[in-house]
Amino acid sequence: MPDPAIEIRNVTKRYDEHVAVRDLSLTVPRGAVYGLLGPNGAGKTSTIRMLLDIIAPDRGEILLFGRRNTDRAVIDRVGYLPEERGLYRKMEVRRVLRFLAALKGVPAREADRRIDAWLERLALKTPEKDWGAAKVDELSRGMQQKVQFIGTLLHEPDLVILDEPFSGLDPINAQALKDTVVDLKRAGKTVIFSTHLMDNAERLCDAVCIIARGEKVLDGPIPTVKAEHGQRHVALALDGPAANGVAEVLADRALVSRIDDSNRFFEIELAPAADPQALLARLVHAGAPIRRFELVQPSLHQIFLQKVGATGVEEGVTGNG
Amino acid sequence: MGKTWTVFVREYVERVRSKWFIIGTIFGPLLFGAIMILPAVLGARTKASRDVSNVVVLDATGTDLGRRVADRLSGGLQGDTALARVVPVAPPALAEAESTATRQVMAKEIQGYFVLDSATLAGRSARYAGRNASSISDLDQLRTAARQAVLAYRLETAGLDVDRVQSLTDMRLSLDAERITDEGRGGSGIANTIFGMLVAVLLYFSIFLYGINVMRGVQEEKQTRVAEVVLSSAPADALLGGKVLGIGAVGLTQMVIWVAAAAALAKWRGAILGAFGVPALSIPLPSISAGAVVLLLLFFVLGYLLYASLFAAVGSMVNSDQDAQTAAQPVIMLLVASVLFLQPVMQNPSSRLAEIVSWIPFTAPVMMPMRMTLVAIPPLELGAVLVGIAATVAVVIWLAARIYRVGLLMYGKRPSLGELARWVRRA
Repeated sequence: MPDPAIEIRNVTKRYDEHVAVRDLSLTVPRGAVYGLLGPNGAGKTSTIRMLLDIIAPDRGEILLFGRRNTDRAVIDRVGYLPEERGLYRKMEVRRVLRFLAALKGVPAREADRRIDAWLERLALKTPEKDWGAAKVDELSRGMQQKVQFIGTLLHEPDLVILDEPFSGLDPINAQALKDTVVDLKRAGKTVIFSTHLMDNAERLCDAVCIIARGEKVLDGPIPTVKAEHGQRHVALALDGPAANGVAEVLADRALVSRIDDSNRFFEIELAPAADPQALLARLVHAGAPIRRFELVQPSLHQIFLQKVGATGVEEGVTGNG
Repeated sequence: MGKTWTVFVREYVERVRSKWFIIGTIFGPLLFGAIMILPAVLGARTKASRDVSNVVVLDATGTDLGRRVADRLSGGLQGDTALARVVPVAPPALAEAESTATRQVMAKEIQGYFVLDSATLAGRSARYAGRNASSISDLDQLRTAARQAVLAYRLETAGLDVDRVQSLTDMRLSLDAERITDEGRGGSGIANTIFGMLVAVLLYFSIFLYGINVMRGVQEEKQTRVAEVVLSSAPADALLGGKVLGIGAVGLTQMVIWVAAAAALAKWRGAILGAFGVPALSIPLPSISAGAVVLLLLFFVLGYLLYASLFAAVGSMVNSDQDAQTAAQPVIMLLVASVLFLQPVMQNPSSRLAEIVSWIPFTAPVMMPMRMTLVAIPPLELGAVLVGIAATVAVVIWLAARIYRVGLLMYGKRPSLGELARWVRRA
């Protein structure tokens, strides 16, 4: 059994009066796509910065591939895409990428080969136009994000950390990013996602950790996490507007303990002793135009809301505000 | 070390490739060239004596002294005598004539007017009023003309032959001053003063310019958020060190090019002037030893490191240009203090004030090199000052690096002094 990609042991980070991360421990196995989920200000960015040894924890230790992360050689195996992206605006794209590669110890000749391959792959270098020779500020926002993404992967890292990677991406770039993540996973790399978008996490991640107020709320492989939260959820879809009787049924606390109402789609958490069959019967009786009624595992979104709740969002030092 | 080098190379190459550097580097030597060559070319075209001789001589002596002075102002017997006009006046009408002449000066018809009276004849005083009354060389010419004219007049009235008097009194004596130091004769005194001033101003501007460049560079990395990407690959100290050293190397490169160009210009000045058809006057160059050059470079490097670290800390703690201007004030004040003392130190480089400002580590990088070129400084004192600056540099870099490490990732409002102190403790 090789050392896990990441081992965080009892890490605490405090800023003045505010505790950003409190006694956090987690383990990410190699080759996993791992989601670090939490509301804004939960301590995600602080955790990632500690992983990369950009800031030092007040207590605890962090191991990457079995070695302390204060060892620069191990940091060179990590690629990081920060939430707030930026490049040297006045620099040529190719020179920026060469610089980022050189910082990670990639020899210049090898870097040039990889830069060309990536520029072509992401359509930044075509027979008509080579954006690699342009200055960064001549590029559109979407193109700059591609360049930044290339910079993250040029040194072929074993561990890739993406902080809110989908924020500000158009659908085409978002798709390209997803494809690349899947490729990375196939190549045996470990990918860490930090996001507050549960849908993306649910589709991409093998395992997740939810943190709130600097503390771990839960972690584990997604199937396990879902199973732990039971088969007590119903997905209900209606074909048309719900009659008044339907709303009455759904408001019955004896049947439904929580409901996420998206107008024509409902995610329902059954009350502890409620029988799903009874709920279905009541809905049919109330004349609901049912299109789908299915016992499901809760979505990550539901688990997140249930665990963190509306009060889980705490104003605090995120380092980005 | 490898990462510092990578950052260093990026800073150096990107800056040296920029239009800003190329223009600045070419503009410098062009400016030197203009300073060295233009005055000579212009001087040859518009004979300075024209201006000096464009005066009215109010002669209240009742003799031909006015005529004599006018001749000498216009360049002797062969000169252009059309310019200096002699107006003989009776002593009681002098006040009236003077106010007429004043109006003429104000109307820019003439440069000024020269009053000769009985006191002049007695060899005591003459008066001059004009637009160029503060020009040392013009006044020198006027004084010489008056003295020679009075002397010639006296010799002639004493019965000497006119031609002999002319040949005896016609002279333009120039005084070349030379400085003597512990090492012996040290080249021209005035050249040393100018050189000392030049060194101080050049050091001040270079430290200022490149220090501000460091601040802007740090600010850019923070504001464009490149900093976080780079920090995930290199420690903050490597980023700071590479940046400060890289920009410093750009400064050194530019200086070497400038100094080399200036030296070449000074050497080939005669040939260049010859190409313009102007005879070259020899200008005294200060003698500088190789040891002094090394010392000057050492002062530049230490002074730059001191201020660049401070500017880097400022750049890392601000989020906007307005903030940067305010936060940079204290650092700029420290640097400007050196320039405030430039004049008094130049006039009296051995005074207690001069000693103190050349000892304080924050003004020493500019003041000590200037004092050094003016007076001989004991090696022990030089050594102590260098050690003092170096120690301060070490402390400042340590502090700046800590502020930088925290500041670079902190967004929001500018920190107070108390917060800064916490940053230093936390980092």
